[in-house]
Amino acid sequence: MDPEGAAASADSNPLPDPDADPGLEDAGDATGAEGTYARRSLPEDLCPTPNPGEPDSVPDADHVVVDRMNSLDLEDEGETASAEVLGSDGSAPADFYRKPNPDDSDVNPGAEPARAQDTSSLDFEDPGSASGAEPPSGNGTLPSDFYMVESEIEVVDEGCQVVGDMAGTSSLGVRGAWREGSDQDGDVPHSPSSSGYAGERGSSGGLSSGIEELDDPGALSDDWSRKRHRDEDDGSISWRKRKKHYFILSHSGKPIFSRYGDEHKLAGFSATLQAIISFVENSGDHIKHVRAGNHQVVFVVKGPIYLVCISCTEEPYEALKRQLELLYGQMLLILTKSVNRCFEKNPKFDMTPLLSGTDAVFSSLIHSFSRRRIVSIPAAILCVILAAFATAALISSTGLPCSSHNLPPTHCFVSEHHPSQANYFVLSSFSLLLILVVPYEILSENPATFLHAYTCLPLSFATRQAAGAILQDVADSGVLFALLLCKHKVISLVGAQKASLHPDDMLLLSNFIMASESFRTSESFSPICLPRYNPMVFLYAYVDFLDVDTYLILLTTGPDSFYHLKDCRIRIESVLVKSNVLSEVQRSVLDGGLRVEDVPVDSSLRSGSLPPHLSAEKASSELSSSNTIIGGPSGLWHFIYRSINLDQYVSSEFSSPISSSSQQKRLFRAYQNLYASMHDEGTGPHKTQFRRDGDFVILCWITQDFELYAAFDPLADKVQAIKACNRVCQWVRDLENVIFLFGASPFSW
Amino acid sequence: MGLPSTMDANEGIQLCVFDSRRGQREGQELDKILFFYPPDCPYSVQLSVIGLSGGMITFTRLFSPDAACEVIEAERHSHVFYQAEPDIWMVLIVEKVKDSESIWRCDALQAILREIHSLFTMFNGSLQNILDKQPSGALARSCLYTFITDYLTDFRVSKKIKVPTFRDCLKERRTVQMLTISREVAIEVQYCTIPISCPSITVIHLRFLPITTLNCPSAPQGDTANMFTYAVLRLTPHALSSKTSSWSYLRKGVSSSNVTVRSASLNTGSSLEDYQDGSCNTSPRGQGQTYHTARLLQTDNWSKGKDGFLVSGIHGEVGNLVDIPPIVWLQQTEEQVYLCVYQHRNLTIIFLIPASEKIVYVEEKLSKGFGGENAYHVSGYRYLLVDRDKSISRASPPGKVTTLAKDSLLAFNNLREEVDLKKARANREKPDCENNFEMCIRAKNNAWLIAKIARGRELYMVLEKANETLLYASDAVEKFSNRCFVIHVFFHCFPSLSKRSSIIFCRIISSVTYSYGWYCDGAFSLD
Repeated sequence: MDPEGAAASADSNPLPDPDADPGLEDAGDATGAEGTYARRSLPEDLCPTPNPGEPDSVPDADHVVVDRMNSLDLEDEGETASAEVLGSDGSAPADFYRKPNPDDSDVNPGAEPARAQDTSSLDFEDPGSASGAEPPSGNGTLPSDFYMVESEIEVVDEGCQVVGDMAGTSSLGVRGAWREGSDQDGDVPHSPSSSGYAGERGSSGGLSSGIEELDDPGALSDDWSRKRHRDEDDGSISWRKRKKHYFILSHSGKPIFSRYGDEHKLAGFSATLQAIISFVENSGDHIKHVRAGNHQVVFVVKGPIYLVCISCTEEPYEALKRQLELLYGQMLLILTKSVNRCFEKNPKFDMTPLLSGTDAVFSSLIHSFSRRRIVSIPAAILCVILAAFATAALISSTGLPCSSHNLPPTHCFVSEHHPSQANYFVLSSFSLLLILVVPYEILSENPATFLHAYTCLPLSFATRQAAGAILQDVADSGVLFALLLCKHKVISLVGAQKASLHPDDMLLLSNFIMASESFRTSESFSPICLPRYNPMVFLYAYVDFLDVDTYLILLTTGPDSFYHLKDCRIRIESVLVKSNVLSEVQRSVLDGGLRVEDVPVDSSLRSGSLPPHLSAEKASSELSSSNTIIGGPSGLWHFIYRSINLDQYVSSEFSSPISSSSQQKRLFRAYQNLYASMHDEGTGPHKTQFRRDGDFVILCWITQDFELYAAFDPLADKVQAIKACNRVCQWVRDLENVIFLFGASPFSW
Repeated sequence: MGLPSTMDANEGIQLCVFDSRRGQREGQELDKILFFYPPDCPYSVQLSVIGLSGGMITFTRLFSPDAACEVIEAERHSHVFYQAEPDIWMVLIVEKVKDSESIWRCDALQAILREIHSLFTMFNGSLQNILDKQPSGALARSCLYTFITDYLTDFRVSKKIKVPTFRDCLKERRTVQMLTISREVAIEVQYCTIPISCPSITVIHLRFLPITTLNCPSAPQGDTANMFTYAVLRLTPHALSSKTSSWSYLRKGVSSSNVTVRSASLNTGSSLEDYQDGSCNTSPRGQGQTYHTARLLQTDNWSKGKDGFLVSGIHGEVGNLVDIPPIVWLQQTEEQVYLCVYQHRNLTIIFLIPASEKIVYVEEKLSKGFGGENAYHVSGYRYLLVDRDKSISRASPPGKVTTLAKDSLLAFNNLREEVDLKKARANREKPDCENNFEMCIRAKNNAWLIAKIARGRELYMVLEKANETLLYASDAVEKFSNRCFVIHVFFHCFPSLSKRSSIIFCRIISSVTYSYGWYCDGAFSLD
């Protein structure tokens, strides 16, 4: 691969041009020649063939292996390399093309050790019955988690009592019982937001604990242990029983992405989907969705790209459609819309190589639609300790110095692995301290996926001002957008004049960065596209993780700005450190967000201590000796407040009555339904809605300024609930300087 | 291939019935089709419709084996599926016209298909049976053709088939639609009808007086004995066969009756063939025959009609060839009843239908108490109350519903769609669990849209003039629910009937007898 050439091509034509690029052309021709693709026979060009004639791919693979050992994305060992190349110069498709196929990773000697370290990985599905799998406390701090330390657990909604029972039995039994399967393959797609912190990175890939949601009851039977269940195809019962499938395919029926199963094996199925879409299109109509029992099949057509979701969750059509559109946006973010040109030139163009290695990005986005992962503290600690040992060992064996920031931009992914290991060590040690105290509960269900808004990390006004000031400073020097984020929460954000950043773009961008392990390893400079900003062109993103979760993104239009942005970053970082912003951020993460228990209760004393960073505001509110209400006043369990003008939302922490992940997911779905119902296309938005069912009372209130979604105990009294909503609104307004970002360029377009 | 690019602009719908087992071989797909509307649709179009339908059914079964495709929503058409019988599918395709009137609930469309099928089955038996009898399918096709074509005429509005839209979201098809009468009238009517004994769904009440087994407590014993005597004398097969008269159905009788037909309620006496010697006393029963000069003891006066009913020599008014059954007087209950006799071989069943003033009284009460369909309209409320267990619905007068703003109805239609989905999901996942929930929406135009599901009952309401708050709206619902509960107490007096039969009967009666449709309300309020 030629970094120079790649950079040049990125400059002139951000998108790979099949004709100009020999590598791509090969790919295109190969697929074009493959006439019987749609007939279930696996086209040769999709068959994994290692490319022996690529000397420099071998070292890459080595990097990959090394990296693999430190990352969680075990599933696509080989592909990580391409992901990184993509990250460094996404304009060099030849590199993608040359990357080892994921399936090759099995023969990669480097991958073996990683696997050997893999401990048991357990997928199980459970309708919330998994007593043992669910940490009794919402924070997963209990010893019962220990047994999961080395287990990847997939919980499935409805499911198998056997598994539920298993989870409840002694940890040893579980591990023993499932070890064998997990040793075979341990590739679990990890939500980077939850697992990608430095500590875990340092450990072996399989070493994570987490409860992953639920897929289906049948998954247990044969391939519970496969991460993305690569061995499944449309013939497998387990595959069919998965709760939610996502597919991306081309208009000629070639698979591009499938959430479960190997895309290549799903060629026939893809062709079926394509046939359905085009059958209806031939009649001059466009299929939108199909309903069959609890299942919904949702179709979205975006030019030559078809997206399909098959789901039996209770999400409404609008929500599923939006998720597909976000998936499409994620794809654009990586490739831009000019990928359409490839299809114009060659309808049978095979896009899979272009996206190889980005599975984790899509998986993580999909998780944020519905999944929730909890990383328990004990597990995290263990991970960190192991990580520290692992990296220490690594450094001693390679003897590499730590100098990760001095390389030319195009090298920063490909060549910096060794140095970055050193960083790992530093970071790992840092996070060890951190994680010892942080309840590491991570919400990967992200309300931003349906709210069209982003959320901010609660910070005192002064702190946020300080961060904003330095970002503004940088933005004035030719940076299009400067963002400082902590996970998916915004600390501060500044845009150049007249430039506005859509919340969806922020969601996709932060997902891309957090899901791509390589961004964490060092500063990076990567072409990305903001679909809502301009779907046709690449911008260039300078990304650097300032600490475990806090990262800086500087977006620019110039492909040559690496050094400039690097200087900016150094300036910003020093200011942030000096003004204690970073430590405030850590503290805020520690303190968590708003708690319903803290909602002021009228004419009574308030109980519960307030997060220190909020204390100034809270002092004004009255204190109460709240009686033994569980959750907030009047049975308030949770709320989301979205400020319409700011395009921001704030969501409370989950209170104890909804501490289990299945309940949280139910609530998330209820919110989704409520949102869809309130924003009904023809007649919405409605003003208020009250719902009561067996799980919750949910109130929604939409005004010109805000939207409030509040969940209560199902037996909550209507009058009290309404009062509580009013109080929440008042409270949020009182706190708005802390929980919202003001003065960011208004997102009006 | 593909669907027809445009369906016949004049039609607006396509309706297809097909058997997925037929026409398996390539080239014989047309054999699958049992019915297609419009009938003049080109075969290629018909084939592509069943091609897509069959394909989607197969496809969705991959993921949802228990419930295959129900709805395909495309930009310009909705395809609604109904699996009428294991292999028989009905597909209704409605075109979405841009005029924004073509917004509907899929459940409402599916209810049409269900109704077609259940009515068809009532008259013709199941399609499967017909196909088994005549595998070529010609019989089934001709039955379906005539039946569905006739059925669809009710939907025809100026040459175009119009399916129910969002404007009908406060109606519920396939339920017995009740009309409200005042509580006083209802109670009075109920009081009147108690002696008539338990009514059934069609107002016609069937009561068997098993003469030979004297264990029916409500049967007036003396009258029973009389009836038995008479039956033995003149009605049993033996008594009939003693004559050789070749009776003709239209045979004129001796005299005509001046009694007009009233709404009827049956009492029956059943006399099993329990032949005693014919030496019974002459019964005094004749004393009841006040209106009739018919000589019911004349030996040749009864004869058996082709339909199994015995026909007396008495006929209706001159020129009217309808036979009027004779009236008899029951001494113990002091009421007049029509005497209807049905005979099957040696079994004779006697139905006694009250002909007393009570019926007249009830009828008068109802007519007076009815006061028009808007009379008991609760102002401010537009509602629909559905009792799924009993297949009963009660709704605001249609005229009042049309006064609602279009936006309210559109939003309400969406709410109902959502409720349909929620209900269906809950039923599939926990069929045994009671499904209770409540949704109140304040729409953009300030209308309150309310759906409340509890204890198998569904209350839908649109309040356009409601006060500002949610509390006001819930208050209104509470009040209304209480009213409804009173009504429901009446419902619960009902003898439990098969849901299916009640719907079907009511529908038929509504279309045949009474056009304004308070028949069944009367019927229900009677209880």
